[in-house]
Amino acid sequence: MENITEVKKLLIDNQIDELSRVATWLEELGEEWEFPMSLVLSLNLVLEEALTNTILYGYEDKLRHSIEILFSKSGDLLKVSIVDDGLAYDPTTKPDPDITLSVEDRPIGGLGVFLIKKIMDTVEYQRIENKNHLTLTKNIKP
Amino acid sequence: MNVEILAAADYSLVTVEGRVDTTNANEFEKSMLSVVDGGATKIVLDCAGLNYISSSGLRVFLIVQKKMIAIKGKFALCCLQPEIKEIFDISGFSSIFSIYADKEAAIKG
Repeated sequence: MENITEVKKLLIDNQIDELSRVATWLEELGEEWEFPMSLVLSLNLVLEEALTNTILYGYEDKLRHSIEILFSKSGDLLKVSIVDDGLAYDPTTKPDPDITLSVEDRPIGGLGVFLIKKIMDTVEYQRIENKNHLTLTKNIKP
Repeated sequence: MNVEILAAADYSLVTVEGRVDTTNANEFEKSMLSVVDGGATKIVLDCAGLNYISSSGLRVFLIVQKKMIAIKGKFALCCLQPEIKEIFDISGFSSIFSIYADKEAAIKG
């Protein structure tokens, strides 16, 4: 049987407040696609970490920019794409933190990208026509 | 997010509910630091109502833990929901925090 691909898209501005709208949108999508609550929370975390980096560090000007979030589901495969016109930034090259360090030695921060990599199965980055394309996939077989 | 602080004789009990994320982590940090800077030597953080945390929130947990260790104090967490515990496991936080199953154990511990 061939899988039907379902697609949902959200456009947000490069403002931190927009994260609340992302959370609400994701909750509604989770209900529609019958995702368990734990998956919705994990995906919310992944989006927040990726979007926070872009919104806080991705722009040199003070202008309004749009960030596109695209979810597509084909059978058990979920694909999440985030496209922005911010400064080129490839999160896949960021080294993982050493999570075995003692409290005293652990640096504050630096967990965001690591959480994305641990929650999703694949993380790919491309720079196409002055835009960052972050593509994440996860097998969501129940 | 909702934060409540109760100062008992020999410990401070902080109850956090809801989501700790990029939009409110600063507020959470201020509340926690007010307890630390107020001279608490033992802080119990009840996470029973905490249902979402991102790296911005984890950052605050680590800051408090570093400060409490520096003064040889105690920072005890309790009642983490399974989803939150999983994030702690992934981040390596489960091995650097004292996590208790219930509030009474965290207060005693």
